[in-house]
Amino acid sequence: MAAPLELSCWGGGWGLPSVHSESLVVMAYAKFSGAPLKVNVIDNTWRGSRGDVPILTTKDNIVSQPAKILNFLRKQKYNADYELSARQGADTLAYIALLEEKLLPAVLHTFWVENDNYFTVTKPWFASRIPFPLSLILPGRMSKGALNRILLTRGEPPLYHLREVEAQIYRDAKECLNLLSHRLGTSQFFFGDMPSTLDAYVFGFLAPLYKVRFPKVQLQEHLKQLSNLCRFCDDILNSYFRHSLGDG
Amino acid sequence: MTAAEPWPENATLYQQLKGEQILLSDNAASLAVQAFLQMCNLPIKVVCRANAEYMSPSGKVPFIHVGNQVVSELGPIVQFVKAKGHSLSDGLDEVQKAEMKAYMELVNNMLLTAELYLQWCDEATVGEITHARYGSPYPWPLNHILAYQKQWEVRRKMKAIGWGKKTLDQVLEDVDQCCQALSQRLGTQPYFFNKQPTELDALVFGHLYTILTTQLTSDELSEKVKNYSNLLAFCRRIEQHYFEDRGKGSSSIRLS
Repeated sequence: MAAPLELSCWGGGWGLPSVHSESLVVMAYAKFSGAPLKVNVIDNTWRGSRGDVPILTTKDNIVSQPAKILNFLRKQKYNADYELSARQGADTLAYIALLEEKLLPAVLHTFWVENDNYFTVTKPWFASRIPFPLSLILPGRMSKGALNRILLTRGEPPLYHLREVEAQIYRDAKECLNLLSHRLGTSQFFFGDMPSTLDAYVFGFLAPLYKVRFPKVQLQEHLKQLSNLCRFCDDILNSYFRHSLGDG
Repeated sequence: MTAAEPWPENATLYQQLKGEQILLSDNAASLAVQAFLQMCNLPIKVVCRANAEYMSPSGKVPFIHVGNQVVSELGPIVQFVKAKGHSLSDGLDEVQKAEMKAYMELVNNMLLTAELYLQWCDEATVGEITHARYGSPYPWPLNHILAYQKQWEVRRKMKAIGWGKKTLDQVLEDVDQCCQALSQRLGTQPYFFNKQPTELDALVFGHLYTILTTQLTSDELSEKVKNYSNLLAFCRRIEQHYFEDRGKGSSSIRLS
């Protein structure tokens, strides 16, 4: 019998099992590959660590970061990509790179940098799940980390000012969403009838954007126009997460 | 961007000094742009300047000077050339275009980042090669100051994207994974989208050829690429077709 696998991650809301993209990627992959995960949601007691979440713990190992966790699960024979051809495996890597380079900056901005969104939604949500007094510090640190990442990777000259960077990253994100929509077409999943790693990543990045209620919603509005991507997220939520939906 | 004027004969591409100054990642970027322009059949003259990085509007090399426009980096250059009516990817359908963009991001995400890591975060390479080359056109103490400043910038960026804690072995693993994906996607075709090269082919060629032909402290990086024979054949094919046949000997180092 396999050692129990425990996943520490941020909790859910708005119909999602988790509002944190990286946690959601791991949870989706576990469902797709049949890995039995015990999910420990971070709450505002001092139990468990908060940094580097999601974290997978087994009897002998602690693994962090989605890519490493997925690799670990594959080595334990929980492989959602078993049916994929070599070429489809290569496509998976390429599309994940596309998500990280083109979509992630705008998602980070929507959650952590856009002032209306951050102060009315993101910060209160995370602060309520972090024990005092860490709740005063950690959300601010996560927000600065997100801003830092955006500026360091996209804020190069001549786009010095955040406002100009913002315009560019949202343009890129919308283009990325369009590309994903074209690629998905009318299929149920990205590679046929069975969900794979790429579906986990796309779901992880898109679902929070789709479901969380924000005041400033330009990217969300764009996503809602791409009906096949919305259908993709809803299908996965209904099929794999029906019994473990978070509170609203 | 003015699409009205045709491509002039005196278009120039600027990069750093080839022999003593230019680094692996910049050389790859420059070669990618040169390959792309060759594939579009647009003449370009390569000019080497020590301060190319500072002349560029975005701070990145290479940049091209066409008519009275200055455009830097492959992405904007592809757009600029398209506005003038030349494109390599017009024949692709929407799904293929999505794939092409995704693979270009893969190269940027993994290969380019790995090159930057090797150049600026691997102590051996930094000490023996990078510092000396980067600061070579400048007098003391400017050469040291500029090199340290650039190193600090690159390390900050690595940390922000989560590469700060990676070891060299993990980075080489990533390079191998990336090459494997490119090799699997290329298969037995001559180019990534079968018969005609696109900007993706130019970008992949730029990086792989530079990795194969640049002398570093060890051969580990080029060995990763050499494991994939179809990638080697791909580089040889583009080198022969677009650089030698046109009478431009790009580099005197041959692919072995």
